[in-house]
Formats: sequence, structure tokens, C-alpha cells
Amino acid sequence: MADVTDEKQQQQVAFAMHTFERIHHVEFQRRFLTQETRHDGREFTQFRPTHVVKGAISTAQGSATVRIGNTTVVCGIKAEVGEPDVNSPDQGYLVANVELPPMCSARFRPGAPSEEAQIASEHIHRLFNGTAGNKGVVDLKTLCIEEGLAVWSLSADIVCLKYDGNILDASIVALMAALEDLGLPSAQLDPATGVVSADRTKAVPLVLNKRLFPATFSLVDDAYLVADADDAEEQMATASLLVVLDASNGGALANMWKRGAGRVSSQTIHKCIDCAAQRMEALIKTL
Amino acid sequence: MTSNIYDRRRVNGPARSVEPVYIDAIEPMAFPEGLRNDGRSLDQLRPIYIKTGLLAAQQTFSSTAPSGSAYYEQGKIRVSCAIYGPRQGRKSNPRIGSFDCDFQYAPFSCSWKKRSHIRGADEKETAQILEQAIAPAIRLEAYPKACIDAYVTVIESDGKFATISAAINCISAALADAGIELYDTVAACSMSSDSSRWVADCSQLEEDASSCSQLVAYMPSADEITYLLQNGKSTLDRTEQAVQACTNSCTRVYAVISRYLQSSMEQPGI
Repeated sequence: MADVTDEKQQQQVAFAMHTFERIHHVEFQRRFLTQETRHDGREFTQFRPTHVVKGAISTAQGSATVRIGNTTVVCGIKAEVGEPDVNSPDQGYLVANVELPPMCSARFRPGAPSEEAQIASEHIHRLFNGTAGNKGVVDLKTLCIEEGLAVWSLSADIVCLKYDGNILDASIVALMAALEDLGLPSAQLDPATGVVSADRTKAVPLVLNKRLFPATFSLVDDAYLVADADDAEEQMATASLLVVLDASNGGALANMWKRGAGRVSSQTIHKCIDCAAQRMEALIKTL
Repeated sequence: MTSNIYDRRRVNGPARSVEPVYIDAIEPMAFPEGLRNDGRSLDQLRPIYIKTGLLAAQQTFSSTAPSGSAYYEQGKIRVSCAIYGPRQGRKSNPRIGSFDCDFQYAPFSCSWKKRSHIRGADEKETAQILEQAIAPAIRLEAYPKACIDAYVTVIESDGKFATISAAINCISAALADAGIELYDTVAACSMSSDSSRWVADCSQLEEDASSCSQLVAYMPSADEITYLLQNGKSTLDRTEQAVQACTNSCTRVYAVISRYLQSSMEQPGI
């Protein structure tokens, strides 16, 4: 008898907790944050368990599936041949896009890409391509087949299967892993017909200039700085900071991006960079 | 089509790009010793794996999580489906609910040219096929004014008709996971023929080399075919034979889906 009433009481408590979370989700999160912990039991500086699987998709030339906690993304890279840009006749293309389909969360409606997807696509595309003075992750000159006539165009598409916050980290890790997995078929241009033929059995891996490791920190409720916020915490975040370090350059800072109106002091930024370095060490060990 | 559609909401590549001509092809429809390239016999289906509830909210009761979801693998085909609903829909019919399907190939999922991000005509057609194949199985009169949405993403495709039948099976499993009232689980299967024999569940290479393909979606408990599609030329007798054979394959697929659904009920935490 005691067991039955205990179980009923537990169910009632669980129900009350879920209702409270649904109705007052800000207050619910505050109950944990004020006690220096988070609703899933993590520390403020703790990242969710990360898993990376490379090469799962046979139709793509390079692919990777990444899971950070519940956020799951798949990155697939398809290689096609195109004409180079007139201003850079010996460079190929790396086109990165992040897709947040309505399947991953009820937040995203079907149709044109949401603002979040567009922002993520643009930032990741620029991060991996570099700018005029700063080299990108891939040396685009290695994608040249025949100067001025034919170059490789790598379309990297990052599709989110399940969204639970921190899409940027997951996308950067996925794209990095997919680039490492990519085998570019050896190609030849037939000058008479203009047709490029390629041999998939002789695939050459890409030479990568950088090895990027991201870490995102969010300022939740304008007061608590947490690492790797999930969806519930992201909804309450007033600012977020993305730190990307380059392992091939001794952990140098490759990219930093602070978004949002919340104020972040420079000591906090230094703390974040240190924390990102630890995250990089942890990721290198697991990969 | 070599020119890429310019989409101002995405990062665009070069205006025109093509796949190179791959010089490492294999002969698909020759069957030495009655076995296919991957060792299957002519009427053997690829192994199926289903996992439901992967997209469900884990610890917290999230309002953004789908009501049901399924991840489906059949050989190299991978399809993921999320069901949202019953929820308020735009077209609100006071007598009966509505079932809508949104289908997309991931850009890297097809062995032919990389797909554009904008929904192509064939994706919209496939969405209609899925709606027509699944809607008869749902008890829509139990959900008046509501709308059940299915979002299907193909992560890897291997055979056009086989992928569509995989999507149908995936939606069936996801609907069961969502607890939507169904008359029966719809199971689908495809066959292709090279004008002499019918071969079940063909891969992309086999389908490209065939002259006729068929897709059947079937409800075994009601013994009703909900969708039948044939592409290509075939005589009346051979078509009838194929429909019969395909329906039998659907029953086998149905048994597999039921077994996976049963085992997912027995282990609620996994």
C-alpha cells in the first residue's frame, strides 16, 4: 500500500514539475541557476557529451554525423565540377549551408530558411572560406582541375535532425569532420570535349589549413554564463559568445563572435577562451 | 539541368555545375548465379532497421518536440520522419482532420546531381504520393479541426521507388509512435523489371537499368491497396503478377515494422 501511494505521490510531483516548467519556464530555470547548477545537472562550464561518426553516407563524397547532447546534425559534402570565377581562375568553391528543417523542432516552419538558419549559414561559410587576406580552412587552389576551365565546387550541407540548442558548435564540428572525411576523386579534363571524367577509386583527401574547434557560451538571464546552452536555456539567453580555436596553430584564436545585447566583460571573454581551450583538448581526445 | 537556382536566402555556389563523368561503373542487371550485386536473391528485400522516438524530448517536457518520430533504414536508404499534431491547422474542417506531408531530399542524399534547396516538382509530387498512401489509414474523423503534419527528410537515397516506399514505412512507424489512431499500418514495397524478370526492392543502379518500376502501398489487415504506381512499359499479365508479388512483399515489410514497434513499446526508456 505504501508503495502505491509513494508512486502516486512521485507521479504527482513529476506532473507538477512539468506543469511548472511549461507555464513558468523562466522561473523554472532560475531555480537551478541560482543554485549554481543547470536543469540537466551540468556545471556551468560543462559541455554535453559529443559523438562524431564520419563517412556514414555513401552518396556524399564526405560526410559526418555529430551529436552534442540531443542536438543532432548531419553534414554531407557533394563534389561537382564548375567553371571558376573570372577573378580567381585557379580557385574552386566551398559552399556551406545550414538547414534547420521543420522536422528538427516545432520552432521552424516549412518554407524559406528561417533567420537562424541564414545567420548560421553565412557565418559558417565565411569562417571556412576565410577572407582576402586570411586563408580559409581549405586552400581553394587545391580544388582546381584546369585553371580557368574547370574547378571542384564542394557543396557542404549541414542538415539538423534534432534541435536542442547550440547549432553553431554542432555545425562547425560536423563540417570539420566531413572535410577530413572527404575523398576528392582524381579528375581530368578532356580538352576536346570539355568533359571532366573522375575516378572514385583514386580518391585524394583534402589538405586542410586549419583544424577548428568551437565552443559557445551563453549569458542566460543576463547574469549566468553557461557553456553549451540547450534549447530551453537559449530561449532565456541575452547574449552568446562563440569562440573557435585552431588546433593546427597551437590553439590560436581563429574566430570570435559575440551576439546579443547582454553585456559581457573582458574578463569573462578571457575565461571563455580558457574554457574553450579545455573543450578543444577534450574533443581532440574523443575524436 | 546544369544551372543552379539562385536562392537569395542561402549561400550560393557557382551558377552552373555538373557532376563529372565517373569512370568506375558496374554492370547492375546481370545476375550471375541468380544473385544480385549485394548477394541478395531476386525477391529478397534489403534489411530494415527502425528506431522510433529518437526526436522525442528527453528529460524536459518540451513544447517544440514532435509527437512522434521514426528513423528508418533499408539497406543504404536512410529516412527520418517527424510527426507534429494533432494540432491547429490552417484549413480547419469541422467534420474531419487533415493529414499533410512535407517531403525533402537532403542535398547530399542522391547519387545523381546535388539537389537544390528549393523543393523541386518531384519532391512535391512525392509529398502528394505519401499523403495519398497514408491518409486512408488514419482515423481522421477522430481529429476534427485538427491537422497532422508529417515532415520527412531523406538522408541517403538508393533507388527512387525504394526510397518512396521507405518514406511510407517510416511515416507509418512514426504515426504509431505518435499515438495517432490508425486503422492499420501501411507497408510499402517496390519492384523493377528489365522486361524479363521482376526484381524486388531495387537499388539505384538496378533501377536505372530497368525498363519498368512499380510501387505498392498496402494495408494487410484490411487487405487493401492504398497506393499503386507504375512507371514504364509492361504487359497486363506481368503487371498483375508484379502487383501480387509486391503485395506479398508488403506483408513481409508489415511484419518487420510491427515487430520493431512492439519491441519499442516493451522498452519505453530506449
